[in-house]
Amino acid sequence: MSAGGASLPTSSHPAHTPARPAHSPARRLPAGGRIDRSQPLRFTFDGRSMSGFGGDTLASALLANGVDTVAQSFKHGRRRGIVGSGAEEPNAIVDLADGAHRIPNQRATQVELHAGLVATSGARRPLKRFAGAFAGVMPAGFYYKFFMGPPWLWRRWEALLRRAAGLGAVPAGADPDTYDKLNHHCDVLVVGGGPAGIAAALAAARVDARVVLVDEQNEFGGSLLGAPQAIGDTPATQWIDAAIEELSARPNVALLPRATAFGYYDHNFVTALERRTDHLGATSPSAPRQRLHRIRAKQVALATGAVERPATFANNDLPGVMLASAVATYLNRYAVAPGTRLLLFTSNDNAYRTALDWRRAGRCVVAVSDTRPGPEGALVAQAVAAGIEIHRAHAVIEAIGRKRVAGALIAPLSEDGRRLAAKPRRLDCDLIACSDGWSPAIHLSSQAGARPRWNEEGMMFLPGAPRQPTLCAGAVNGAMSLAACLADGAAAGARAAHAAGFGDARPRFAPPPVEEAEEGAARPLFIAPHVQPSSRAPKQFVDFQLDVTAADIELAAREGYRSVEHAKRYTALGFGTDQGKLGNVNGVAILARALGQGIAETGVTVFRPAYTPVTFGAIAGRDTGELFDAERHTPMHAWHAAHGAAWENVGRWKRPWHYPQADETMHDAVVRECRSARQSVAMLDASTLGKIDVQGADAAAFLDRIYAGSFQRLGVGRCRYGLMLREDGTIFDDGVAARLADTRFLLHTTTGNAEAALAWLELWRQTEWPDLDVYFTSVTDHWATAALAGPKARDVLRRVCDDIDLSREAFPFMSVRSGHVAGRPARVFRISFSGELCFEVNVAAHDGMDVWNALMAAGEPFGITPYGTETMHVLRAEKGFIIVGQDTDGSMTPEDMGLGWAVRHGKPFGFIGDRSLALADHRRADRLHFVGLATTDAAAVLPEGAQIVAASTRRAAKPTTPRAMQGHVTSSYFSPALERSIALAMLKRGRERLGEIVCCPLADGREVSAQVVNPIFFDAEGRRTRA
Amino acid sequence: MLEIHCPYCGESRSEEEFSYAGEAHIRRPSDPAGLDDRAWGDYLHFRSNPRGAHRELWFHAAGCRRYLNVLRDTASYQISQTYRVGESPEDV
Amino acid sequence: MPKAGAPVPDATTLRGPRRQACLSLRAQPTASLRGAVATALGVELPVAPCTHRRAGERALHWLGPDEWLATAPAGTEDALQAALRAALTGHFAVTDVSGAWRSFNLAGPRAIEVLRKSSPCDFHPRAFAPGRCVQTVFAKATALIACNADGDFDVITRTSYADYLRHWLEVATLEHPASP
Repeated sequence: MSAGGASLPTSSHPAHTPARPAHSPARRLPAGGRIDRSQPLRFTFDGRSMSGFGGDTLASALLANGVDTVAQSFKHGRRRGIVGSGAEEPNAIVDLADGAHRIPNQRATQVELHAGLVATSGARRPLKRFAGAFAGVMPAGFYYKFFMGPPWLWRRWEALLRRAAGLGAVPAGADPDTYDKLNHHCDVLVVGGGPAGIAAALAAARVDARVVLVDEQNEFGGSLLGAPQAIGDTPATQWIDAAIEELSARPNVALLPRATAFGYYDHNFVTALERRTDHLGATSPSAPRQRLHRIRAKQVALATGAVERPATFANNDLPGVMLASAVATYLNRYAVAPGTRLLLFTSNDNAYRTALDWRRAGRCVVAVSDTRPGPEGALVAQAVAAGIEIHRAHAVIEAIGRKRVAGALIAPLSEDGRRLAAKPRRLDCDLIACSDGWSPAIHLSSQAGARPRWNEEGMMFLPGAPRQPTLCAGAVNGAMSLAACLADGAAAGARAAHAAGFGDARPRFAPPPVEEAEEGAARPLFIAPHVQPSSRAPKQFVDFQLDVTAADIELAAREGYRSVEHAKRYTALGFGTDQGKLGNVNGVAILARALGQGIAETGVTVFRPAYTPVTFGAIAGRDTGELFDAERHTPMHAWHAAHGAAWENVGRWKRPWHYPQADETMHDAVVRECRSARQSVAMLDASTLGKIDVQGADAAAFLDRIYAGSFQRLGVGRCRYGLMLREDGTIFDDGVAARLADTRFLLHTTTGNAEAALAWLELWRQTEWPDLDVYFTSVTDHWATAALAGPKARDVLRRVCDDIDLSREAFPFMSVRSGHVAGRPARVFRISFSGELCFEVNVAAHDGMDVWNALMAAGEPFGITPYGTETMHVLRAEKGFIIVGQDTDGSMTPEDMGLGWAVRHGKPFGFIGDRSLALADHRRADRLHFVGLATTDAAAVLPEGAQIVAASTRRAAKPTTPRAMQGHVTSSYFSPALERSIALAMLKRGRERLGEIVCCPLADGREVSAQVVNPIFFDAEGRRTRA
Repeated sequence: MLEIHCPYCGESRSEEEFSYAGEAHIRRPSDPAGLDDRAWGDYLHFRSNPRGAHRELWFHAAGCRRYLNVLRDTASYQISQTYRVGESPEDV
Repeated sequence: MPKAGAPVPDATTLRGPRRQACLSLRAQPTASLRGAVATALGVELPVAPCTHRRAGERALHWLGPDEWLATAPAGTEDALQAALRAALTGHFAVTDVSGAWRSFNLAGPRAIEVLRKSSPCDFHPRAFAPGRCVQTVFAKATALIACNADGDFDVITRTSYADYLRHWLEVATLEHPASP
């Protein structure tokens, strides 16, 4: 690559780009920059092979390769080029990689180049087709106006918009990469690794505070990486290197480069997305691609810098119009000159650096158009001395060119800057660098609840009064010079550390001397006037990503949108993935002007997370695939798996659902399991049932207050079914409680309610009745439970248990005994959820598998069959036993469920929910009652959730709709014991309607009729249970 | 994501360890049967729901399993005090 | 995830799940309780929140202001429970929960990083020195985490979560040490 290898084009249309050879020497400077020229990298953009260097971003490499157009705009289909050099970039939004690895929605300005990188520009192809259609008919407020229209029209638009609007394509297939999360706690979190942030980190670290320094770039230094400045006697970058070396050597400091702090939440909780392998272009399964850092900080120092404000003028979206700071960054950091003939359009001194740098790089500065009548800062003087032509009190009012800037119209400004003082004239140029001032990056501060305040002197929104322990330092605070940033950063770091308990708030860190150019006052225009009004002039873009123009905002104001938040939603200003980092302030200023008010009173919209888009992968972290949720396993889990169990998720538990054999269907398996339980013996793993050990002198008194029934007089060794009610009288949980000793009980809760029930007991003990002597301990995980059910259950248990008298007389139904089963200490309950003779054998979890195996072996002569939750459901439904949460829905009282027998009114203290049962509504005659349904067609199994209506009468040939709902089906199965379909249901006045025929209209149009019956279908006298 | 100081553990923990348990200092009437439906309904359903300082009951579910009182501003989410069950907030 | 790979010099050692004798003790931390517990178990009752005390193979963990978890070698639960019940007076609850808990152990210079991937608590040595223990959220389950004298960590979890957490911890310890 030689500097003189190509003659510079001088025509007024210099950049009909595709003809330019890849890696144009005209674009890449022969020397300089922070790129590694010994490391050439090939990459592909939109199918074209190109090359760049290590240290390049995709954007700098594209510019070096002469790529001008990187996107076509959303609404108008206009060509768009790279505008910025960082997170603010609105146009160069690309998809990386392909297939399952595809990552949509990446800013090319923040993508580090690596060998083999494949990038595709965003939404260009589909838009070409629709651009014409959209351009004229999508005014400001499009969504508002068309949502009002007839629904069919909106559906048509939606289909078109969805195809056109997406920034990127959805990856094809599951994400093969891994992600994880890491929690941090620190005294001082510093966000931003520029001069202010580094100074803050140094000041805090040197007084021994725990510091985390987060920066979104691949190397620390922030704006200094793109500007040739000196700190003390050395280049700024050397000072950075020394500072980072010191910080990384300190054990109290964590450095997080390549990490974007994207969310600032309550109580100083900040999230940052770290890109760990993206820049390597390869992934390793043990190395997460991205990591989500969850940082809780005592103090947060925001040193997030500022984003340059673009100028608003006609055709300002033409490729070749860029931020002045971005031009300087590409030139200095990446040694890329994104053009040849530069026109600088500025309203401040700072941007003169770009013209000076451009000239130093040996390029042509056509002129500077300065909005101010008398710019006189040191940089202006340098430009004058360098012979650069300066047009004072001038504005660029329109960019000219087809595929790229070929020239500009500039014109003198009136005194107030709102009109033109004379006719425009044309300058030839191929690059317009513009600066209308700076917008501090107040996003995180705003997310933390600080209302931004307009600063008239600096003409910028600054962070408002913090509502959390936040300090701001550097450019985000309006400090625009390097010296001010260093001093501000050091002071903020020391103050933050002190507030967190370290040091004395005075920085132990003297900011090194920096030579500063004195700057004159700025005069931002926010919008350059044009010969025509905004509504007639060529489009003056405010938000590039969503194609919002100055005319759109003025239209919104005319249509009555006075609040900035409303105008934002009406025009979609700032709604893109870039969140309007470039355009928001200009938009606010234009709105303020249209409303005839100031910017301060207009205000700015609230920023919300995320600062830049975050991958779903990082949000999910490791909680995917097999680790998606925390699975709970019973002690016999491996046995079930080995015996082919089909699983049912019950809460987090994996429970055997049924055990299909060979080619059995689920129906076959359940019929077999049910028959075994009813005819011989079957066994269920009931370990998941919640179990709470209750001890204390007041245990019985406490349970009397918690349960609707009475437990005071329950004998030791006896069990009782109990209902826990909420204070409003509805059923909260149910289960069997056993009295193990005078002062000790064991409560069973439903599987899904175990934790809630324990919390419920603790709530009342801790807040209302601390005087009662009672303690609770969860023993759910301690016990493995095998429920042995069926006429042969006693015969099986007898073979492995010789120290408990299992006879009906010695061990009656609803009692508990202790002894040994298969040689292991065991607690055996004679309780039954199946309606059969049943022994629930409880042993310690570590004995569970052995005892289960022993019981299976003992049961073999009887054909013992393991059964799962589906069979459990069928057996209990045949008996009319409720399942809380399935047959009840949080509005049912004991009386509704026919469980009035389990309520004891008139206990000394009453019980939770007692008073509410007397409320008028709970005593209404037309409440839903728990009933059974026997379908007229014995084979028709009703779907659970089916609605119940009155049966059609003969008179009405066609039923009228809607028909009043009278209830719904809560449980429904085919009963092998009865060889017919059975259902449980809640039906209005149901208990008064036994024998009546009701009707269930199904979703498919069929109607199933059924007779209302008693919910106990099987062994209503309970002889089998008590056998 | 709130950070809540548990007065029993003596340290601040992340919100994910806690669960919210409604407004604090709602005493259960000592004689429910003696209340008419309206008075009982007030206890059952009506809460202050203020904008600003709110006395809340939280449960340190994944920690020490204690209920605690939290004085939280419902507008700013700032927590000015946490204190044990049975105690009163210092200055509300 | 590959189970084998190049050896990592400062890899995290994961052990468990292991069964221990576990007893739940609930009572008010009076002086007499402290004396009785020390006599019965030979371990001081930790009354400072979020601490544990250890004597040989026995340990007592503070779970709450009136709740502790005693751990000891598996098989000793009956003897310990008998000793405890004999020594205690007044209102208390002692429950054998040996089946309910399983212990993992994490050792190595990056063990803290594994904890930080799993739990929102602060495990920095300044905040979580030897002798400290916390009950907290751990992955999508909960755990009791104790820092031992050697700087290794016990992660004690509910038995039903042990399979899940073993898998989680295998994955979390896989990564090569890289950034902070």
